[in-house]
Amino acid sequence: MPIQLQVDQLSWSINNTSILKNISFDVNKGEVIGIIGPNGAGKTSLLNCVTNQQKNIRGAVLNGSVYLNKKKIKHYSTKQLAQNFALVAQKAEAIFSLTVIDIVKMGLLPHKSLFALDDDHDKAQIKLALVKVGLAHAEKMTFNSLSGGEQQRVLIARALVQQAQILILDEPTNHLDVYYQHQILHLVKQLKVTVIMTVHDLNLASQYCQRLLLLNQGQLVADGSPIDVLTESQLSSVFKLPCQVEQRSTEQDPSSHKPRVFFSLPRDQASKIRVDVQDE
Amino acid sequence: MNKLLLTFIALLLITFVSAITGLHFGPASLTSNQVVQCLLGTCDNQISQMVIWQVRVPRVLVALVAGMGLAIAGAILQNTTRNPLADPYLFGIVSGAGLGATIASLSLGDHLAIALPLAAFLGALFAITIVLFIAKVLQRMEQLLLAGVAVSFMLGSLTQFILYFGEPFATNRVIFWLMGSLSRVEMSNFYVIASVLLATIITIIALHRHIDALLLGDESAASLGVNVDRLRLLMLGLCAALTATIVAYCGGIGFVGLMIPHIVRQIIGVTTLKLVIGSALIGGSFLIWVDIIARSALANAEIPIGIITSALGSLFFLFIMVRTRHTN
Repeated sequence: MPIQLQVDQLSWSINNTSILKNISFDVNKGEVIGIIGPNGAGKTSLLNCVTNQQKNIRGAVLNGSVYLNKKKIKHYSTKQLAQNFALVAQKAEAIFSLTVIDIVKMGLLPHKSLFALDDDHDKAQIKLALVKVGLAHAEKMTFNSLSGGEQQRVLIARALVQQAQILILDEPTNHLDVYYQHQILHLVKQLKVTVIMTVHDLNLASQYCQRLLLLNQGQLVADGSPIDVLTESQLSSVFKLPCQVEQRSTEQDPSSHKPRVFFSLPRDQASKIRVDVQDE
Repeated sequence: MNKLLLTFIALLLITFVSAITGLHFGPASLTSNQVVQCLLGTCDNQISQMVIWQVRVPRVLVALVAGMGLAIAGAILQNTTRNPLADPYLFGIVSGAGLGATIASLSLGDHLAIALPLAAFLGALFAITIVLFIAKVLQRMEQLLLAGVAVSFMLGSLTQFILYFGEPFATNRVIFWLMGSLSRVEMSNFYVIASVLLATIITIIALHRHIDALLLGDESAASLGVNVDRLRLLMLGLCAALTATIVAYCGGIGFVGLMIPHIVRQIIGVTTLKLVIGSALIGGSFLIWVDIIARSALANAEIPIGIITSALGSLFFLFIMVRTRHTN
């Protein structure tokens, strides 16, 4: 698979506080990559640097390079970047009564010139995207009346209309219940585009990502398949908790074994918490 | 789409009928036949011809473009700041215009007719410059509204201070001007307002997708390739120039920019293109009708138009509050 994105010795700091330290990795076309790590590890910052959305932050210094199709990312215009990266945020709050179709239509923006109105091709594309995410029936519904999972699907439909080569998802399952978590990640995997997403739930990351990047304190600690990255020693060291990793197959893919991670508090910490609660 | 098109055609007809109706009202009593004949230039009475073309047509046309402009400015400010209560008047524009008008009224005597609109316009631009400067220093464009309210109070108190120590006649003049009126407008005023309005509408049509993208938040818009701060600044500058031009000729006409977009969102939609076209048509018709009420409600006097829009606006918002409570 050809290399689509290259991150080369990327470091990023804000007001002399180091956020990302010397990170390098390649992304191949069509890969589904999960970025994992504890809070404050730099996951969202890495996404922002990769997509060049960090440039407006005051006091920030970026070293190293990101290449998209072998061309430095800083040489792309904002419009070109929007044609290449589609961002799906963890939660979007629509002001006023924006309908589903209003939001999906926004995806046309990077491809339209000033004054251009929607043509038949655009309309067909919007319809197709809504069908792909299973919301063809809901185009006239208001965004705010939808469930969290449906709202995520609307944002994914917008990303599809945006026709970007790389889909960027920041904690796509954060506000969703178990059913919608699996529904969204399954959908993302089916899209057959390059996906880079930050994920908190390691078991979801294991199940749906081909490759994982483990970050800790701004450094890339591990890069590889879920089996290589989700090891007891690495996870215990990064998350500061004892953990067990089991290999299990899924119902969808019985032949492949995916790591399953279980964390627990050490006994001395757990008993301390219980005592504190009793004291109160 | 068909339903939308029909709605716009209906609104266009209402606007046209409103404008024609507006030409029938005034101290001189003219029949519909006379109005139509004078409009077509076949009027046999020279005075009627003058009343129509030099008094009523400019007045109706200025009411139309002022209503359109105020409603569009409100709609765009609300969409770009993601705040349903954003209104051109909240950015200190009227306070700035009031200060300009006060200084002109007190310092220039005979040349006031030309100087007052110019001074009001400069005052409004002065206010918006301070607001933008504060927002720029704070690096927080979302605090524009708060900065606007602060500047509004600051310039308002300065105006009151000057008026308190000023000449009573000039003070009266400024106070009446701030209440808003279309009684002294001329055709040249229409051309100026219409030009600024046209430039604003063209810019909005060009950037309507960018403005729409802001409705889902700054980050989301930036990821679609929108330069959020630059767009917001451009839109604010345009709306400020449009409002300042209207205020300079018509005085203070409040609530149009707040009320009309709210109605349009309920019946047409929230995205920029629909909102702006709807706001223009409803806002234009609305101000023509308010001006008709201003001219005809009292037998021997005209009510300042700003008083009527504020009264209607406050009632409208009470109605919305009650309705929202019932819906909830």
